[in-house]
Amino acid sequence: MSRSGNLQYEAEALGASLPPLLVDAERLASAVSLGVHGRRKAGMGESFWQFRRYRQEDSSTVIDWRQSAKSQHLFVREREWEAAQSVWFWCDTSAGMRFASGPVTKSERAKLIALALASLLVRGGERVALYGDAHAPASSRAALRRIGHTLLALAPDERALPPDAAITKNAQFVWLSDFLSPLSDIEITLRRLSRSAVAGVLVHIIDPAEEDFPFTGRTRFEDALAQQSEIVGRAETIAGAYRARFKAHSEALGALARRLGWSTISHRTDRSPQTALTALYADMSGA
Amino acid sequence: MELLSGLSFGAPWILAALLVLPAIWWLLRVTPPLPRRVVFPPLRLLLGLTGEEETPAQTPWWLLLLRLVAAGLVIVALADPLLGKPPPIPGTGPMVLFIDNGWTAAANWDAREAVIADVLRSAMQQNRAVAIVPTADVPDVSLMDAGKAARIAQALTPEPWLPDRSRAAKAIAGAKFKVRPEIIWLSDGIEDGMAHATASTLASAGALKIYADAVGKGPLALLPPASSPRGFDVALLRANAEGERNGDVAALGSHDEVLASAHFRFATGANRATAHIVLPLEVRNETARIVIVGMDAAGAVQLLGGSGAHRSVGIVSARGNENEQPLLSDLYYLERALAPYADVREGTISDLLARNVSVLVLADIGRIAGADYDRIAKFVAGGGLLVRFAGERMTAGTDDLIPVKLRVGGRYLGGALAWAEPQKLAPFSDASPFAGLTVPGDVSVTRQVLAEPSVELADRTWARLADGTPLVTARAQGKGWIVLFHITAGPSWSSLPLSGLYVDMMRRLMALSSGSRPSDMKSAQTLPPVLTLDGFGRARKPPAEVFPIRAADIGRTVPSRAHPPGLYGVAGTEDALNAVGAKDALLAFGDLSRPILQYAQTTVIALAPFLLALAIALLFADAVISLWMRGYLARLRLARAAAVVLALSLAFPGRDARADDAFDLKAATDTRLAYVITGLSDVDDMSKAGLVGLGNQLKQRTSYEPQEPMGVDITKDDLSFFPLLYWPMDPREKDLTPEALSKISDYMRNGGTILFDTRDLTLGATQGPSSPGQQTLRRLLAKLDLPPLEPVPSDHVLTKAFYILQDFPGRWDGGKVWVEALPPADPNAGPTPARGGDGVSPVIIGGNDWAAAWAVRVDGSPIADVVPGGERQRELAYRFGVNLVMYAFTGNYKADQIHVPALLQRLGK
Repeated sequence: MSRSGNLQYEAEALGASLPPLLVDAERLASAVSLGVHGRRKAGMGESFWQFRRYRQEDSSTVIDWRQSAKSQHLFVREREWEAAQSVWFWCDTSAGMRFASGPVTKSERAKLIALALASLLVRGGERVALYGDAHAPASSRAALRRIGHTLLALAPDERALPPDAAITKNAQFVWLSDFLSPLSDIEITLRRLSRSAVAGVLVHIIDPAEEDFPFTGRTRFEDALAQQSEIVGRAETIAGAYRARFKAHSEALGALARRLGWSTISHRTDRSPQTALTALYADMSGA
Repeated sequence: MELLSGLSFGAPWILAALLVLPAIWWLLRVTPPLPRRVVFPPLRLLLGLTGEEETPAQTPWWLLLLRLVAAGLVIVALADPLLGKPPPIPGTGPMVLFIDNGWTAAANWDAREAVIADVLRSAMQQNRAVAIVPTADVPDVSLMDAGKAARIAQALTPEPWLPDRSRAAKAIAGAKFKVRPEIIWLSDGIEDGMAHATASTLASAGALKIYADAVGKGPLALLPPASSPRGFDVALLRANAEGERNGDVAALGSHDEVLASAHFRFATGANRATAHIVLPLEVRNETARIVIVGMDAAGAVQLLGGSGAHRSVGIVSARGNENEQPLLSDLYYLERALAPYADVREGTISDLLARNVSVLVLADIGRIAGADYDRIAKFVAGGGLLVRFAGERMTAGTDDLIPVKLRVGGRYLGGALAWAEPQKLAPFSDASPFAGLTVPGDVSVTRQVLAEPSVELADRTWARLADGTPLVTARAQGKGWIVLFHITAGPSWSSLPLSGLYVDMMRRLMALSSGSRPSDMKSAQTLPPVLTLDGFGRARKPPAEVFPIRAADIGRTVPSRAHPPGLYGVAGTEDALNAVGAKDALLAFGDLSRPILQYAQTTVIALAPFLLALAIALLFADAVISLWMRGYLARLRLARAAAVVLALSLAFPGRDARADDAFDLKAATDTRLAYVITGLSDVDDMSKAGLVGLGNQLKQRTSYEPQEPMGVDITKDDLSFFPLLYWPMDPREKDLTPEALSKISDYMRNGGTILFDTRDLTLGATQGPSSPGQQTLRRLLAKLDLPPLEPVPSDHVLTKAFYILQDFPGRWDGGKVWVEALPPADPNAGPTPARGGDGVSPVIIGGNDWAAAWAVRVDGSPIADVVPGGERQRELAYRFGVNLVMYAFTGNYKADQIHVPALLQRLGK
């Protein structure tokens, strides 16, 4: 099969699987954007700001002729100052993200939230991009679709932390992960990103089993790659200590993020993704 | 220590296996229980924590001990430990066990087994030969070693007849023993007139030891019961008149259920006791046997013959929803009338015949379809009784399984337009089986089906109306009878079903089953065994060695190997042969001039069963503990629920496993539209596409979201999953097999609806009545029992089930649509918005080719053009489809619109 034929075949295969994710993401996004409506805040759109008198340095093309015709003077229609922000996404694809104690894996939920947020942002005129992807931020349905494809095609690897990659200045960064790497590693990455004058949100995806620790009896715990394991005689005896430790880890993560000017949102995969998305969107739009 | 000194082992060398216990201990100790594996990404957070409690890598000592004890118990049990010592048997010669094993020994058989076991154990220890001579069997005096004797003793059971001691004693006297034998007579303590002679014979043959039952343990005999007005009078006998003896006798039904019981008491010095079992008449007919409670012996059982006539009757009714309005239903009255004297079952014809009913009652089955016809004809020819009742369907036509030819249509009496008064019944003639029953004056008949006058009509008439028209006719066919009531089984045509006469008539009819004419019920020459008793009085299938008894001799027959006690005859009319006759007596041994030992309780107790049971209990506890330690118990609850669900789902339709279980599963898990596969690909494709199109519309317009429609093979698949079947007619379709016809009538009777589509617009006035589609419909369904049909009236529920419609176009427009005729509107009720019968019409017939109008391609565009055309016609076709599905699903629910004004008023509007 020719190379282009092969590519087309793969693209079609991807396209066949994409719509459900995209549709889910769109459905989620529309539910949230309905909630944002009516807030009467100055948006990103091409909304009218004010008329002012024409000045020498203005280009003649910005003259609003309809307004000018009403009086002696020339008027310029000024629009609200719009600076479309670019938002970068990064989804953790490490093996641990594929864990699920219920029906949804952390990875699936992360991708869904990322795509839904991207969809919302594209509707709001923002530009979105995948971190580590070759493409520059863009604000179009096509970009959204491309992001969807890339998310689906993301191969699981061992990188639990975002790599060093190009990023635009003053961008927002959305990092979706289970943040189970050592805090020191996370801090190094966060500091590196902050040096590029990037701020953003950490979306902490938590599987209920990870937080609640419902195991009992003699149990052998293995990590996602089955490289390391630990046998616990009566798992219920260490549940309390584990929960305390997990909570401390989450809190330390939050404190670290706050210190560097980032915000944190926790999401359990057994909860509705809409709650997380609402919080996330509110956070992004600065409400 | 007293206990231990009595302990001995049958196989002491096995105890050496106890040496392996330390090895087992070592193996168990080093193997910790297997942990459960769990994938857990935040493992890093967990790593330090496990130090807080050390993993118990070893099994706890008490669990280890538990397992070791269980293993030790198994080993000790295998070594066959025995408690106690058997009494020594003197002498060195062979031992002869002379055992009375008639039913008289059955009640206390355990005691004999214990003595036999002791004797055999001594024989084994002293290595002496043994002979076992049962007196009720053919005596066989051959010596054998103790092991073989133990096997024979195990197979030895009491027989249900009395022993023949003199024959056995003669056999022993005739045997040649090298050494003088020890003879042990395990007697039943009953004098048969030969006891003294037997004892003398035995004593001369060897050293004799006699055992007999202790006082108060001997056998009891139950004499044949006498019927009294209030129940049964029973008498009991005992051999030994010493002391008091109490107990109960009980009357048991055919499934061994206790119907009633009574107390009896032997006073001191009396060897006869009586008891009175109080039973109402209806229940008395159910009594199959009377027994002495707690005494397992053939002589403690009195079987009652089948003269009480208990027959199994199958009832089939034309309508499926009989249970909804019981007082209007034929089944209700039939069941009430038959239940006191018969075992009534309901079901389909094939089911009931397969279950061997002796009487089949058909309530208003107009035409018996397909294979059912052949089955019933065979049933009647083989001696079955077929009772049919007339009804609406029978007026429309019937088959030839009726006694006399019927006129089409019926006769109304006493209606508004009729001259005739409702008719009373004439007294029964002497030739009729109903002769002698009194006719109540208030029974009247308002409607009946009429017989064609013929020569034999008078002979075949068993009951008449006062004006002479036949009410019940009957005809013998083969060995059986066909009886027709010219009225319905329920009270809609007459008040007979409300009277006691109806019950009496049914009862007389029951006697006709099993092919016997009223006059020659006793004509059977020989009575084959139906069921026999064993020595313990338990019913069993007759063994091969049992012979039939001549009917004339059954009163004189003495129970023996060829004729054990039991029931003889034809099922339903059996005669009973009992172990104890009315004139039998029980006498204790006379003076044998020898000491008589009593059976003691067993002297040696084998401990192995107890030890094994204990070991199993310990191992079970160990399994539970292991599961608990591994944290599985919480999961077990879930697993149990799953198991229950699985069991339920497996038990659900109880059909034989077939390759197309997938079909059933698919059909059962969703409510689907379905079409009949005709085997013609163009027709089937159109049906499928049509139902897909209709399904899409249903999804858009209603709350019903059908899954993909299914094709149904009418001969093979189970139809009961589908509320509605679409069946296009095509001249190329093959004739239906009789089985398929039966299946279709069952489907319609059980509430299914079939939409027949002749697809050529022929049922209206537009074309002639003999178009291909209609001919096909006739060809396929002529043998089916269809209800009376009428064109859809303008107030039929079908016109209002979802949309308000007045005509039902499909691909064509203008054809008529036929449904089951509704009952006439109640003139007093005033105008009603919609009328529905009770339930849903089982057939809807039309010719507008609806599937073609509904059919869509995958992309949703219509396949066929509609004629004369226009989107409105297609829309109306869809609306008809929606109405049809709603009608099939909800039935006459929309007819309840009649209550809307009342409801609104109640709501305060």
